[in-house]
Amino acid sequence: MAVKLTCKVKVKNQLGLHTRPAAAIVKMLQPLKSSVYFTYKSETINARSIMSILMLAARKNSQIVVSVEGEDAEAAMRIMVRAFEEQFGEK
Amino acid sequence: MEKNEEIVLRGLPISRGIGIGLPLFFSNTDDNIPETNVSKHCIESEVERYRQALHLSRQDVERLQHLSLNDGPPEIVNILGTHLEMLQDPLMTSVMEDKIRAICKNSESIVLGVIDEYKKRFRNIKDGYFQERVRDIIDVSRRVLGHLRPVQSMRLCSVPTNSIVLAHDLVPSDTVEASAGQIGAFVTASGGITSHAAIIARAKGIPYVAHVDIKLFRRFDAGMVIVDGTQGIVIVNPTSQTLKKYQSLKKGQLQNFRLMQSATHLKGETIDGYQVRIFANLEELREIDFAIRHGASGVGLMRTEYLLFSRKRFPTEDEQTAIYRKMAQRLEGRPLVIRIYDVGGDKKFDFEPASPDAHYFAALGNEPNPALGCRAIRFMLRFPQLLDAQLRACLRASQYGDVHILIPMVSDVSELRQVRARVAKISSEMRRKGMKVARSIPIGCMIEVPSSALLCDALAKEADFLSVGTNDLVQYVLAADRNNILTSNIYSPAHPSILRLIRMIIASSSRFKKPLLLCGESAADPVMIPLLLGLGIREFSVASRNIPLVKHIIRKWRILDACQLAEQALEYYCADDLKHFLEERISSLNG
Repeated sequence: MAVKLTCKVKVKNQLGLHTRPAAAIVKMLQPLKSSVYFTYKSETINARSIMSILMLAARKNSQIVVSVEGEDAEAAMRIMVRAFEEQFGEK
Repeated sequence: MEKNEEIVLRGLPISRGIGIGLPLFFSNTDDNIPETNVSKHCIESEVERYRQALHLSRQDVERLQHLSLNDGPPEIVNILGTHLEMLQDPLMTSVMEDKIRAICKNSESIVLGVIDEYKKRFRNIKDGYFQERVRDIIDVSRRVLGHLRPVQSMRLCSVPTNSIVLAHDLVPSDTVEASAGQIGAFVTASGGITSHAAIIARAKGIPYVAHVDIKLFRRFDAGMVIVDGTQGIVIVNPTSQTLKKYQSLKKGQLQNFRLMQSATHLKGETIDGYQVRIFANLEELREIDFAIRHGASGVGLMRTEYLLFSRKRFPTEDEQTAIYRKMAQRLEGRPLVIRIYDVGGDKKFDFEPASPDAHYFAALGNEPNPALGCRAIRFMLRFPQLLDAQLRACLRASQYGDVHILIPMVSDVSELRQVRARVAKISSEMRRKGMKVARSIPIGCMIEVPSSALLCDALAKEADFLSVGTNDLVQYVLAADRNNILTSNIYSPAHPSILRLIRMIIASSSRFKKPLLLCGESAADPVMIPLLLGLGIREFSVASRNIPLVKHIIRKWRILDACQLAEQALEYYCADDLKHFLEERISSLNG
């Protein structure tokens, strides 16, 4: 059953959502089925696109709203929240 | 403005070093793209044309990536990896295709429109770091545009030697093709320290000053230009006095500081007099003088596959012979290690379908796991005519110097035996025809596959020399791809398992008294050098420009201290702990 979830996360990386985290996000989402969107400063983009993520230019401490919809929405949300929390392994 | 007056411009220092040469305007702008309508029933073939351009762009980036893999500063490989991901991004694929279908115009004008959108975006972003990342997006789009519009564009690999390249802006795909031997320096109107073009310029040792008003150059008749990338100064039409000053400065700064430069003429030896030989890795004949000037003990790794890249086909036996012969002669008796083509597998070349040699790679098909695929000696044994031509060229060159043959990607002694048998057969054929061949030509094995590392005693017994290629060995032993952001943290030459393997290889080579070379990026890593020295490595092979650095570090160590360091390092069983230990111990000693 399709579930829709939203959650607010904070960018903790020193350099913000730059290339490496963007690529990591896209990779993490590859095995998942849900659609995932980021909303930042009233702009909503597809989180499966590195270029779109980069163009948000979200710096450190930005608040991003993650919305997930699909059959594995819960797993997708868990992965996203943890990835932001762990700074995409850059801590 | 007075003609030929000396003018000093100040900019942002991006990459150190001094460049002296003639100015050259380099442009990557997108002028004159006609906008045409595409009718509805032709739109699918237009979309197909776009897809093809995207495909060719991907191949470009992959090719550049494979070529940078061995040679390269890891930064370049990472940057190209990101570009590859961008080329698969929905914004470049499905979104673009939908746009073409919706607008019904030629792909060029649509891509150009998108680039303009990105540029607008780019101006609105205040954060310099992000601005630079958006520049990558523009770069990738431009590459696609280039394939849609196959007009001959200027490329940095084909400019006159020592050119001072003036550009409004540089993108990574421009700089990745540039070589320090060819480009004197970069001067740009925009650009920042963290741009990928800057990272690449630094990695390649090309001086670079940004934020200079390059339009000024058009106003006065610019003759000679001096670029001081350390101070961020550009001098146009220097007086002979200034020129002299910078020429001598440049001499001293070829390596980042004079201390290292002075080491090029000194022996590579430790404080207590242990001799270390430092060889050069190179790809082309024209680099050889640079290597000799930097004090190379010889050529430790001639990467012959680069000969394919410039020719878009395999060089003939005669072409190879001429190159190897000239190299051997220039080296005046110093060793020349020629590595058999390391191609195939994950290093396939995209020859044009019309190329006479395209069938070699086509024959391999799409290997499901190219990194574990038909590469190097595996590939060459499949095409014995290529192998024999190369071996014959090596043998023909052997009478002019100390030519060695190196077999890449050896898995066990069988490959060595097969090559040896071919060499014996070819030399006796040549002798029968009255051709001169060196009495014996040393044949060595690359140790870069775990199986060959584990069999190093058997290989050391049968081969004439061994060469450890740490880049691939680390990747295969740790089963970690350094281009994959999820595993690149595991990829480390200073891993306890690698140290143990290297120790084992050294023990085998000394047991059978066979020379052992170490090549790969770790040979030029200031943290790894003392450790490798302590483990027992006495021959390093590195990019020419790193030779003074290696010498400089070796000359600061006592062999006993290095051995002690290696012994202590071998006590660590966890890569992170070892890394901390090394950083702490070595930064204090390397100074």
